[in-house]
Amino acid sequence: MAATRRLQKELSDLRASAMKNFTNIQVDEANILTWQGLILPDDPPYNKGAFRIEINFPAEYPFKPPRINFKTKIYHPNIDEKGQVCLAIISAENWKPATKTDQVIQALIALVNDPEPEHPLRADLAEEFLKDRRKFFKNAEEFTKKHAEKRRESASAE
Amino acid sequence: MSFLFNLLKGAFLRMLQLIWFGKRKISNSLSIYVKTNTGNTLSIDLDPKWDIRNLKEIVGPQLGISPEDIKIIFAGKELHNSTIIEECDLGQQSILHAIKLPPGKNRLNRKKDTKNLIEESIDEGSEANESGSKPLNETLIDLPLEDSDRHENHSEQEQQQARAHFYVYCSLPCKSVEAGKLRVRCATCGSGAVTVDRDPQCWPDVQQPRRITVHCENHDCQTLLSSLAQKDEGTPQVRYAQFYFKCANHVSLGEKDEAVPLYLIKPNLRNVPCLACTDTRDTVLVFPCEAGHVTCLDCFRDYCVARLRDRQFEFDDNHGYYTLPCPAGCQNSHISEVHHFRLLSPEQYEQYQRFGTEEYVLRAGGLLCPRPDCGMGIIPPDQTDEERSRSPDEDDCRRIQCIGGCGYVFCRRCLQGFHVGECDSQQPTTYSSTSAVSCLSGYAIDPLRASEAKWDEASKKTIQISTKPCPKCRTPTERDGGCMHMVCTRAGCSFQWCWVCQTEWTRDCMGSHWFG
Repeated sequence: MAATRRLQKELSDLRASAMKNFTNIQVDEANILTWQGLILPDDPPYNKGAFRIEINFPAEYPFKPPRINFKTKIYHPNIDEKGQVCLAIISAENWKPATKTDQVIQALIALVNDPEPEHPLRADLAEEFLKDRRKFFKNAEEFTKKHAEKRRESASAE
Repeated sequence: MSFLFNLLKGAFLRMLQLIWFGKRKISNSLSIYVKTNTGNTLSIDLDPKWDIRNLKEIVGPQLGISPEDIKIIFAGKELHNSTIIEECDLGQQSILHAIKLPPGKNRLNRKKDTKNLIEESIDEGSEANESGSKPLNETLIDLPLEDSDRHENHSEQEQQQARAHFYVYCSLPCKSVEAGKLRVRCATCGSGAVTVDRDPQCWPDVQQPRRITVHCENHDCQTLLSSLAQKDEGTPQVRYAQFYFKCANHVSLGEKDEAVPLYLIKPNLRNVPCLACTDTRDTVLVFPCEAGHVTCLDCFRDYCVARLRDRQFEFDDNHGYYTLPCPAGCQNSHISEVHHFRLLSPEQYEQYQRFGTEEYVLRAGGLLCPRPDCGMGIIPPDQTDEERSRSPDEDDCRRIQCIGGCGYVFCRRCLQGFHVGECDSQQPTTYSSTSAVSCLSGYAIDPLRASEAKWDEASKKTIQISTKPCPKCRTPTERDGGCMHMVCTRAGCSFQWCWVCQTEWTRDCMGSHWFG
């Protein structure tokens, strides 16, 4: 199956490259189609925590795009309460089989750092983001402190 | 003294050889046919280790011609005396052409009409009377898809590596994708006794007519050509090559035995990794896009199956192909030789054909019979004015009968059994046609028919519960996850709608209930 061969390669490449903002990659030996990992956004208000995501690859991968879900709650206009996220690079219309998972993760981190309030999943947060940026940052930071996982290397890195 | 001895020894060996040939004790024999330009066909067993000179020595006596006056033609090339038979890509039952050279004539004379006199005479000088060349499979290099992309100045080794490999779909008897062999014949008379004036250098050379000229040895060809020219002034006076392919997997079944070339499949000479799995495989499929994106054959199958399951093949409106583009989404990259989809399993290919046909019927404004296990394509005739005036009642326009299929009579609009009056979109129940039939003929419903209707009833209920109709084309649609943004997959519809509102997808849907 193309999916297995491709994902094994991507996974070992990803582990070898040791991305700074995507760590703790966990993949069940029995099911290479589901990955978990922590994303570490660089920009406030999300730079104080780690967010667990799950990537689900379809059996038809790479001819169909993966889906991404946030396991950690996050205060973000483009990520809903259930952790669903709409990322252009993995939408059915835009998906290209040659797109690699690390590109997808980079796009995801870029979206977390820079919310797109014009395509919101949570209209209330988008409105707050546009109208009262300071309040939004404060809320998001508190939310991050409360729900996000601790960054392991935070003591040395920051 | 030693000179004399050598001469004697040579003669002795020669005789031995002749006796040996006479006995035809050949290990590992290759049985072929030799056709002459006088209409004879000889069946000959060969040892693949022999060269063409040996062959001439066998054929000559049988035809009553001196071996020196014969030339052997195969796959568009006159074969050189020293060519070893096993190098020629000959298979069992292959056909060679033996041409008797007119006495006193040599190649110079026959080339006079091709204007290459000077070039030819130089050629002739260097080769003396050893006319002929290497077989086509030795000289032919990997064919690029486009004209512009020709290979230039290959070194000997590169040429060795780049030697053309072809893949074909063999419809009979192999029914599979196999290695293929390129062959050539005269486009005018169909005779295989031709020599090409140059090797094809790209696929258009092979696929398009009138690109490469040939010299045809068939005696009847000249008469044929002049008679054609008399009929039609426009007929060119030169002869062109007509290339075709044979399957290399089975014993040749004669001159009519051809196979479809799958020209996108190539040996991976440039070691390009597959765009999907990133493995570098020996055999790949190169898409006809500008970038020439490459997938391995396994990933090509996966790609086709993924798209087939979702009915996401595309109709090439210019050519009417039901096909796929490059998976990287390149422009103008439709696969135009649909036999490439023969790489799928027979069941999958059948599904591909069925979907393609259904798609065609729907695009042509037709319908598919809604009866389970029927699905016959129906293109209703346009109603004439007379018919329309005869039945001002609209009901008749909606009445469609599955002629040539199951005979079911149904309503064009709601695809339920035919009924009088408005369509009932909420409660599609049993076939009203069944009851209509029973009323007419006056006896009770066939119990078998009744049980079938129950079964249909159950699946109808399931469909009703689990699906919502596309707001535009009414195709029942199931949502198996993801967001509320639906895109209709039916041919020619592609309507974008909202699962919640059941209307066109809007920014408001995105804002308030994108994910429910």
